[in-house]
Amino acid sequence: MTTADHITAAGIRQRPRLRAWTRGVLAGPLAFVASSILMAGAALYLPEGAAGIDNLVFPVVLFPLIWAVLFLYALLDRRLLRAYVVIGLVLASHGGLIAAHLGSVA
Amino acid sequence: MIKLSQERTKELLAIHGWSGIILGLLLYAVICTGTIAVFSTEIGDWSNPLDAPATEGLPPNINALVQELGDQVDPAYRDQFFLYSSGGGRLMLQFEGHLEQDGDDDHPGAEEHYGVLYEIDPNTLTLLNRTEGPEAMLDAARRATDALADFFVDLHVRLHIPNPWGLFVTGVLGLIMMVAAITGFLVHRHLIRELFTIRRNKEALLRSRDAHVIAGTWTLPFAFVLAFTGSFFSFATSLGLPAMAMVVFGGDQERAIAEVFGEPPATDETPAPVANFDAVIADATARTGARPNFIAGSFYGRADSQMRAFTPAEEGDLTGRSPVYSGVTGEFLYDKPVLVGQSPSAGNAVAALMAPLHFGNFAGIVSKAVWFALGFAGAYVALTGMLLWTNRRADQRAWQRMGRIVHWMGYGLPLTMAMTPYGTFAGRWFGWPLETAQWTAFGLAALAALIVALGARTAARARDLLVATTGFALLGVPLVRYATGGPGWLGAWSDGLMTVIAGDLIMMLGGVICLGLWRFGAGTSAEQAGQANSRPGRPGRSNPQVTA
Repeated sequence: MTTADHITAAGIRQRPRLRAWTRGVLAGPLAFVASSILMAGAALYLPEGAAGIDNLVFPVVLFPLIWAVLFLYALLDRRLLRAYVVIGLVLASHGGLIAAHLGSVA
Repeated sequence: MIKLSQERTKELLAIHGWSGIILGLLLYAVICTGTIAVFSTEIGDWSNPLDAPATEGLPPNINALVQELGDQVDPAYRDQFFLYSSGGGRLMLQFEGHLEQDGDDDHPGAEEHYGVLYEIDPNTLTLLNRTEGPEAMLDAARRATDALADFFVDLHVRLHIPNPWGLFVTGVLGLIMMVAAITGFLVHRHLIRELFTIRRNKEALLRSRDAHVIAGTWTLPFAFVLAFTGSFFSFATSLGLPAMAMVVFGGDQERAIAEVFGEPPATDETPAPVANFDAVIADATARTGARPNFIAGSFYGRADSQMRAFTPAEEGDLTGRSPVYSGVTGEFLYDKPVLVGQSPSAGNAVAALMAPLHFGNFAGIVSKAVWFALGFAGAYVALTGMLLWTNRRADQRAWQRMGRIVHWMGYGLPLTMAMTPYGTFAGRWFGWPLETAQWTAFGLAALAALIVALGARTAARARDLLVATTGFALLGVPLVRYATGGPGWLGAWSDGLMTVIAGDLIMMLGGVICLGLWRFGAGTSAEQAGQANSRPGRPGRSNPQVTA
């Protein structure tokens, strides 16, 4: 097997240990970072409520649940590549939202 | 019944087991100490009582004393002031400001929190102690009044790891516990039946597995709630609020705090009289139906001073209230939500629910007892889960060692917790630094437990030794408390210090139960089924067909 094979989906599929590590990275650090980014980004579009703080409080309260959903999804989706895409989309959309907001503030 | 394919069930079971075993030892410590921390107020009253029990909430007729002491504090250290209760019901009056360090025009000195802490007997309104210094010194003085409860609470909240890392660790442990609860729920193929199933005639490992499942199933909702609220508390301040401040407010912490906790009043440094504390407490009591147990104020003796009284939850309510008053006239200004925002909101209501759900303090001693029992069951589930997992892999040397470590933590932690009061009482009696004394007792017990867990001929022997020692240690705690200057039972009875007697009886009961388990207990699967029957390196019998 060549080095190029290792990083393709087929290459990963054929190597159980590499597959386990790849999934572990997704379910561990990446799911945690995605949950944190989702939590912070959600404050920018959730309704503020009567006291103007609901958009800040609800994402913080729901953070453990958001993480649990992403963590279990990352471990249970049989198609690892799709799981990477989904969590990548969460990261990219909310990361982009945060970057756009901070850019407009600056 | 939840229908899952065999393969999916296997995957979930693997997630359940691995999530538990990887951080299970620390999680077990957090659950055990959390179970004890439910009674932190009572532990404070038991371990460091005054001559007579204090009344609920802030004591009456304190205005003259508070004003006299407040006037003695340098105005530079009166930016904030607090009135609250500590161990034994002691009334604490704290003033805090900023101390500017020496500097020059180019390098202005850093500011550090500095203040004065008064410790007051709430029954006689006499001054017991006065501490002046930086925030850390004030914190140490406050902790000295409630040292034993604080030790357990700190172990539970952050495993004594400095913030914010300690909160991160316990937050992750909460997440792991939540995953274990969710996957435990999903893999139950016959949820209702498993609530009542224990196969008495089957082999020990199966019986133990059934006991783990029964305890786990009954406590599943509670485990989920505790894990969820626990991770919220850990991450809210260490990750959530800083992230919000960074993203929503562009890193402007002051604006974030103003948005969440309210704008401070307009600055007016003109000296002004101080409101009557007794009148404020009386008004808050009449207004909310409960006597305040905490007052937080700003700018004592200035025209812009305000104070906020916090009252406990009334019957039927999950959270208390916090009316705000002028710190000059004592006039009621407005009712502020207890946690966040300036007016009632869904966000505040949800956030305020987290504390009673986690601490179990919404219905006094009854709900605390229920939370204690459920926490105890949670610790049992965590321990038996780890024992089952290691036992199933007992034919591998590494897992044998892990099994011994699980025994060390599982049966050694109760011993170290039982030994901690020895350090507290001895430290107070001999005048040693309390935290050092507590760590010494805790550390020596942990070391002894490690030697026993690794050195005993069998794990069953290690368990027996540790359980028996814990029993004797618990039986000795009341004696040590009395020998180091604590009140005796007759004196406590005549002074109405029922918490002291109740605390001693609970220690003794715990001791008797441990000795009973040691003498007559059937042991756990690990002892009976093989893994733990030999030192690491000598594989015991195991049953690979049985799943954890």
